[in-house]
Amino acid sequence: MDFDFNDDQESLRDAVRRWVDKGYDFERRRAIVREGGFSQKAWGEIAELGLPGLVVPADAGGMGFGPIEAMVVMEELGRGLVLEPYAHTALVAAPLLAGRSAPAASAWLGKACAGEAIVVLALQERRARYRLEHVSTRAERDGSGQWVLTGTKGVVPAGAHAQAFIVPARVSGTDDDPAGIALFLVERGQGVETTAYALQDGSSAADLRLQRAGAQELVAAGEAFEALNLAVDRGIAALCAEAVGAMDRLFAITVDYLNTRKQFGVAIGTFQALRHRVADMKMQLELARSMSYFAALRLNDAPQVRRLALSQAKVQLGQSMRYVGQQAIQLHGGIGVTEEYSAGHYFKRLTCIEMSFGDTMHHLGEVASRMQDTAGVFA
Amino acid sequence: MDLNFTPEELSFREEIRAWVRDNLPKDISHKVHNALRLNKDDLQRWARILGKKGWHGWAWPKQFGGPGWNAVQRHLFEEECALAGAPRVVPFGPVMVAPVIMAFGTPEQHKRFLPGIMSGDVWWSQGYSEPGSGSDLASVKTRAERRGDKFIVNGQKTWTTLGQYGDWIFCLVRTSTEGKPQTGISFLLIDMKSPGITVRPIITLDGEHEVNEVFFDNVEVPADQLIGEENKGWTYAKYLLAHERTNIADVNRAKRELERLKRLAKAEGVYDDARFRDQIALLEVDIVALEMMVLRVLSAERGGKQALDVAALLKIRGSEIQQRYSELMMLAGGPYSLPFIHEAMEAGWQGDMAGGATLAPLASTYFNMRKTTIYGGSNEVQRNIVSQMTLGV
Repeated sequence: MDFDFNDDQESLRDAVRRWVDKGYDFERRRAIVREGGFSQKAWGEIAELGLPGLVVPADAGGMGFGPIEAMVVMEELGRGLVLEPYAHTALVAAPLLAGRSAPAASAWLGKACAGEAIVVLALQERRARYRLEHVSTRAERDGSGQWVLTGTKGVVPAGAHAQAFIVPARVSGTDDDPAGIALFLVERGQGVETTAYALQDGSSAADLRLQRAGAQELVAAGEAFEALNLAVDRGIAALCAEAVGAMDRLFAITVDYLNTRKQFGVAIGTFQALRHRVADMKMQLELARSMSYFAALRLNDAPQVRRLALSQAKVQLGQSMRYVGQQAIQLHGGIGVTEEYSAGHYFKRLTCIEMSFGDTMHHLGEVASRMQDTAGVFA
Repeated sequence: MDLNFTPEELSFREEIRAWVRDNLPKDISHKVHNALRLNKDDLQRWARILGKKGWHGWAWPKQFGGPGWNAVQRHLFEEECALAGAPRVVPFGPVMVAPVIMAFGTPEQHKRFLPGIMSGDVWWSQGYSEPGSGSDLASVKTRAERRGDKFIVNGQKTWTTLGQYGDWIFCLVRTSTEGKPQTGISFLLIDMKSPGITVRPIITLDGEHEVNEVFFDNVEVPADQLIGEENKGWTYAKYLLAHERTNIADVNRAKRELERLKRLAKAEGVYDDARFRDQIALLEVDIVALEMMVLRVLSAERGGKQALDVAALLKIRGSEIQQRYSELMMLAGGPYSLPFIHEAMEAGWQGDMAGGATLAPLASTYFNMRKTTIYGGSNEVQRNIVSQMTLGV
């Protein structure tokens, strides 16, 4: 039992932090938001740091790191509110491509690791809410025996900038049957159409419409549902860490403000009503950090153990993000709700994170249905 | 980073588990598992069993006769005891006054007081709070006047937990009224059999006699029972409180009680009620998060690093969680938690009540637990401490 970071992890953190501090300040971020929420140049800088292949095995062209290194990177990207879809490409999609026998998988993995292509998981369907088993996109074989997919996925991260998509689609069963889901690799081309829009946090997303779009099977029905769950759990761990970084920074901004802003002739940080709010925010931040560690440390465990832990983490993070975000705005007063000030943008990002890969209520349901008779970290 | 205990830590835990299984009397663990009343004999029997093994002062260094365990080993010991249903060790002797005696006492005081604390033979009480000094401890008024080789003590202490059993009491007393309130305080060890001491019960909301008022009327205290220097008691008091607060998170007990809550909820048919079950699930997340926070503190302590600044948060969270599980247990019992039957807290009670022996103590425990956010520095005072550390002013 040990919560220290090793030297490699510390230097990884330093490298990412240096880039975020020097290369991704708030003004640059605002400019990227105005241009649609994605910068090819910034993505290239992330690739220069070698980050896209972070958790891909070395023999598949990556760096072979694990969940702790992923957490370290995400905390730092969260601190800088980086818009580019790092978690979705490098931590969710890339590991799904590694080791697959689909003909195009290793080529896309190579491009993803080199930062030459963006590949994302296109997961969301209109009536699914957060249930992964709810898939109505259909996969069928055409006359030549090739898979073709038909359906619509929404709120696909960086969907307009992705060159390829990993798509859960149904090969059999009714809309809620987990056993009838397979994962497919879909390249941009005929029958693939994206409609881009900005999300509340300024990032770019898109609807993905598939009309008999050509596809390669990545993970066959049967195994695919657990592969999908694992990919989503990796996404949850990544977003938990991102949220910790974002909350850390937002909390520091708020504390600075309380020590600077004067009303009634004194710094507002002297008022006990506000000081207790600071203590409660600190509590939520540290509970969140503790559970982000927990998420990363359980990510490679057996599916049952991992699934419960990741939902527990998301419940804690959901509560913490909402509390820290809302209170940061409240403690700032009017300036907190302006577009030109950074605090509100942290709040918006935290809100988007809460509603990605399952919100607090969804994961509370998961925890409730998976509870054991025993309790605690080692239950 | 690693969540797993080392093989050495795991075998240490096995050793503790086996010992507790073989040595914790079943009648005592039955009471603990069912939140029944523990009497003096229960508490002292367990203290002496631990003492005989040299574990009543489980956090003590070897030079004072303790096992010399590190932070993780201490945690594992506490966890095994809690999960097995051992009573919480009455902390005033081994956890609170002993470290102060070790750090600031004379070699004579070490020899005189520490063996009786370790063995569990001498029962210690705490004389900190006064009617006018709750969270504002520095305002203590109990006077100690130096007369030759004695102090003459006059005044009143209150909220003295289990003081009705106390052999000795450690007290903060005022020896000077000059300067800041903190500078005129001294730390005295007082024999509770001394003439002039009166202990009066305070009955709390649950109908129980757990806390007391202690009156001092011209009580003579030999000067060699002063700890450290006169008027330096505030330093020693703060040292003690630092020890009290890490212990106070009590996450191991929370785990045991969450398991009990699940059993109760199943027995009462509310475990399958989504609204109720969600509340249990939320509490489970709270407890896992608290445990992770505790483990982070332990890991830093074991590594000899500067204590994490989350330690001050543990008391707030731990106490809120204790209140929450007691609340949910009462709610699980529903209206059958309401009968207020003093005898129901006794082991073996066979009252002729429809709700039976399991449900009758639940509300009393709920009412009792309201103390947890008040004692040991109220949670509002804790928030002051956290915000001061965070804001820097």
